[in-house]
Amino acid sequence: MRHSLKLCILFSSTLVLTVASRGQQIGLEDLIDEDLETGPPVTINDPIEGFNRAIFKFNDGLYTKIVTPFARGYSKVVPDPIEKGVGNFFDNLKFPSRFAGNVLQGRLNQAGRETGKFLVNSTIGLGGILKPSDDIDGLSPSDEDIGQAFAKWGMGHGFYIVLPFLGPTSLRDFVGDFADGAVEPIPDPWTLIDDDTDRLILQVAEIVNGLPRLIEIYDSMRRSAIDPYASVRDGYAQRRARQVNE
Amino acid sequence: MTLPKIQRTLALFLLATLSAAPALFADDSPAELLEATIREVIDTLHDQETLGVEDKRNKILDLLQQRFSFDIIIRRALGRNWRQLDETQQEQVTNLISDLLIQAYTRELKNGPKPEINFLGTEELSSSKIEISSTVSYKNNLVAVSYRLANVTGRGWQVYDVLVEGVSMVSNYRQQFDEHFQTKNAKQLIELLKSKIETPDV
Repeated sequence: MRHSLKLCILFSSTLVLTVASRGQQIGLEDLIDEDLETGPPVTINDPIEGFNRAIFKFNDGLYTKIVTPFARGYSKVVPDPIEKGVGNFFDNLKFPSRFAGNVLQGRLNQAGRETGKFLVNSTIGLGGILKPSDDIDGLSPSDEDIGQAFAKWGMGHGFYIVLPFLGPTSLRDFVGDFADGAVEPIPDPWTLIDDDTDRLILQVAEIVNGLPRLIEIYDSMRRSAIDPYASVRDGYAQRRARQVNE
Repeated sequence: MTLPKIQRTLALFLLATLSAAPALFADDSPAELLEATIREVIDTLHDQETLGVEDKRNKILDLLQQRFSFDIIIRRALGRNWRQLDETQQEQVTNLISDLLIQAYTRELKNGPKPEINFLGTEELSSSKIEISSTVSYKNNLVAVSYRLANVTGRGWQVYDVLVEGVSMVSNYRQQFDEHFQTKNAKQLIELLKSKIETPDV
């Protein structure tokens, strides 16, 4: 009897202790006053803010008045599997830029995986429309570009630039995009397609197909933002910082 | 009481405690609680018949408030700017921003298809904080959404930041508020929030 009682007390106290030790608690005021996890906010220089805001306003009008109704219409008219297939097709074409980005960052393994993916999707995947590589272990997608390689080398953003039509970039990433362009089949040099019209059609097709996705995010963000310009700028800085760290 | 009887009582007590223990732990998992709430919010949004617009909004707010501490989220986002607001303004701003966020992120969902949500796992950030990651698949797009929760004294596990594609919302709003208070004041902030809620498309 005494034995059972002891056992019972021991068990109950262990239970109480276990419940109590399940993570510590933090006081409300402490949580509010502490620094954000991101440490010092990821900032980006913006010396040409006046100019950038003007372009931002122009783009914003363009997106909301012209592009959004069009993108919604496109999304409604084009069946989902086709929309996805078109997206995959263009994703596959971006392989050379991801490959170069990986090589420049000294990630040969990832570069090898990118090559494997490109080969699988271009062949079994009917030129990249299907993505069989997603089902193959070790060939899951990566998200690299040359701007990230520059950042890995310690290069800062330089400063923030809002481009007409295209939106946010930085001096570093803009230069990186040019380098990406040099290794990417779109837009230049497109060795396989000589005809200017065909090349233009493909570029437009890529942008149009990517729109519905971007517009939904842009729209929710714009509706909930106090200062959409500052929100997009910070979003760009945070997103790039995260991509570089991965 | 005879000796065997006492022993039996003790054994029963022990058995009861033991069988209660797993339930106690399972019910407590913050990820499961959060997932249940998010699913309930989406179901409520898509519930076309039973609830009117106003009732729906209130129900969603009630549901979210069980897991999301909007006051903590907003005060962290405002940072040092919080002290520029008097008490009435602080309350007004907290309510207006909660409304604005819910309005902006539920508008698109209520007429479209149900988003597909996958909860991926929980990572410990510190002894009192965790991050629960998930993916939301909506109209062919896959978006990464992570929730940061803290074990707050008196409240339990509460969401205090949401990361969309790695972008922290608290941090993003902090930048916007800093920008606003460089040239404008609290009164202008309240006016801006009100007009945003009334005319979301402008």
